[in-house]
Amino acid sequence: MFKLKVSDAKLLRDMVTAISILVDEATFKIEPEGLKLRAMDPSRVAMIDFEWPKTVFEEYVCEAPSKMCINISELLRLLKRAGKDEAVELSLDEKTGRLQIKITGKYSRNFNMPTLEASEEEVPTPKITFNVKAKATTQGLSQAIEDAQLVSDHVRIEADTEKLVLNATGDLMGATITLQKGSDALLDLEVKENSKATFSLSYLAEIIKAASATSDIATLEFSTDMPIKIDFQQTKEGKLTFFLAPRIESE
Amino acid sequence: MPQTLHNASSNWLMDMIKRSSNSAVEESIVARASRNSPCVLCKGARFLCGKTRCPIMVKVNYYLKSVPLMASEDISGVSPPSVFIGRIGYPYVYVGPLVPPVHEDTSLYDLPEQWFGRSIDEIVGFRSLLIRGKHRVHVEKFEQAGKIAEKTRELALAENSVDLELNLTKKPRGFLFMDDDVQPFGPSAPIRDMRVGNTRFDSRIEKAYYDTDLRATEAVLELYSRGVMVTKIQRAFSVGAFGIEKNRRLVPTRWSITAVDDIISKALMEQVKTFPEISEYRVYESVYLDNIFEVLMIPDAWSYESMEAWYPGTVWNPHGNSTLIFSDWEGNEGRTTYAQVGGCYYAARLAVCEQLVKERRQATVIVLREARPGYIMPVGVWQVRENVRNAMRQKPRLFKSLNEALQFISARFEIPLRRWILQSELLKKALFQKKISDFFGKTSVS
Repeated sequence: MFKLKVSDAKLLRDMVTAISILVDEATFKIEPEGLKLRAMDPSRVAMIDFEWPKTVFEEYVCEAPSKMCINISELLRLLKRAGKDEAVELSLDEKTGRLQIKITGKYSRNFNMPTLEASEEEVPTPKITFNVKAKATTQGLSQAIEDAQLVSDHVRIEADTEKLVLNATGDLMGATITLQKGSDALLDLEVKENSKATFSLSYLAEIIKAASATSDIATLEFSTDMPIKIDFQQTKEGKLTFFLAPRIESE
Repeated sequence: MPQTLHNASSNWLMDMIKRSSNSAVEESIVARASRNSPCVLCKGARFLCGKTRCPIMVKVNYYLKSVPLMASEDISGVSPPSVFIGRIGYPYVYVGPLVPPVHEDTSLYDLPEQWFGRSIDEIVGFRSLLIRGKHRVHVEKFEQAGKIAEKTRELALAENSVDLELNLTKKPRGFLFMDDDVQPFGPSAPIRDMRVGNTRFDSRIEKAYYDTDLRATEAVLELYSRGVMVTKIQRAFSVGAFGIEKNRRLVPTRWSITAVDDIISKALMEQVKTFPEISEYRVYESVYLDNIFEVLMIPDAWSYESMEAWYPGTVWNPHGNSTLIFSDWEGNEGRTTYAQVGGCYYAARLAVCEQLVKERRQATVIVLREARPGYIMPVGVWQVRENVRNAMRQKPRLFKSLNEALQFISARFEIPLRRWILQSELLKKALFQKKISDFFGKTSVS
């Protein structure tokens, strides 16, 4: 028996949108304490680590731990039909193996969709020692990424004790974006060791854009030529963290 | 600015034409060259353009052979079958049959699936015999456009060669039409009347044609899965034979070729994405008409890139001093905009997807093509589709690392590896982008 209910459809829709950035078929872990997902994109460059404890939901029922795999873009298509203040209820019909989606508001509608074969793959957490920890507004980050995207498709992120610098070099143009410690965009910066690493802007932009809908503040952690971890602080309880592997250009 | 060479007394083309026996030819030929084109100086003899043979000479040669057969307003012959839908003036376009003035089985003339391995001369030879009848209609109103439009559609759906008589308003005129997307064809003239012999429809295509509730995409996929050749699907697609009744319309030949390649390969890609990744680096190759294809498959999630390098003196780089490289790519999620490089992007994508589906594997695929000076004129997108299909039929060379695979490719090509890498989105990704899975289990960092 599995069932969950959220009173505001937007909460669920934004989260599913953030997941859809990386995965098309998502295997959720349904546990008595809450809902979890850890998955990589098809080319294994990025990873999402998501958890919603049962306290996030208006109603959450899980009698025994199980897994459920669903097509995220199909689910998203259905959730887009829900208005802002409408409630959404998801439940698994164990007999048919279908997911029931009930949207109630001005009127009510019931959709159902098939579940897929759950992935057996256990995705571990990358083991990284981070030398930089920066707390920034998601709005500031989005702006900085958009600036960099004007000139290139990848960006080098550098940090010293005073500032976070984004450096983009394209075929013709270049850009340097500086976020000073204590500024409106960069709330906090802890640096154990000056570090720099390069990342794909298309991944960064998509992740930050989608996750910004769920969060106002993000914590970035990285080290030289290691993956970056971006943790988006949730307004309710819960966790939304992305990892993105670096680009290392060796000539 | 184009300059008519018709009246120039020292015109080498005219000299050549005069030497040929038929004086009727002279009126029907118009040669045009741009003012700064090297052709006027070269006269087809010195290869100033860098090609290994003069494309004008090749064309004129066949033109001279075919024109005497066409010196009449009444043409009778056997259509392969073949039709052509123009795009100029869209939505008011020229439609009509292509028919050679010969009475034998001409089915080969419009079946690129059977052309691979034939020389450019042979292909230009039979294509230049195809006379194009023209009749202007509105693409959405062709159902009411009368007999000529109706007969043209009938022809496009026919299973075998069809007897055809064309009554033209004037003698066929014009050059052999050459295009990168569309296979070449001969002179053209407006149609006054046309008579089509007994036609039998391909039963599979006929079924889709009469099903006016079946969407065009579904019709294309259904026919492809039943083994109907891409060329035949495309021919029927261009005459608006598929789709929900109210949406049916004529589709210019050039667009229909790419539309069909795109529709089929999109469906195949969705299958490919569900299969396990290949376990080694592979390189497939094929050489035809001085086009060299090296297809690199990387063990990774499906994504695709098509790159083509044009030597100076080749079709799309006639006056350049350096090689031009064009490329376009798509990630795992596919693309929503039209690829810059054009129809060949989709034709090659179809060919590689066919192979991956057959093997039930997925990979990141990069199609690299060098067009060399022996590729003297464009012959149509089919060359790319069939060339890559031929590459896929060969046994691939297997490599343990990307570097080994790239070294192998580098040795086959004239263009240095560095230039390919700089231009290639997916090669850069494969070389420089780390995977998050590389960092599971590592504990320390510098």
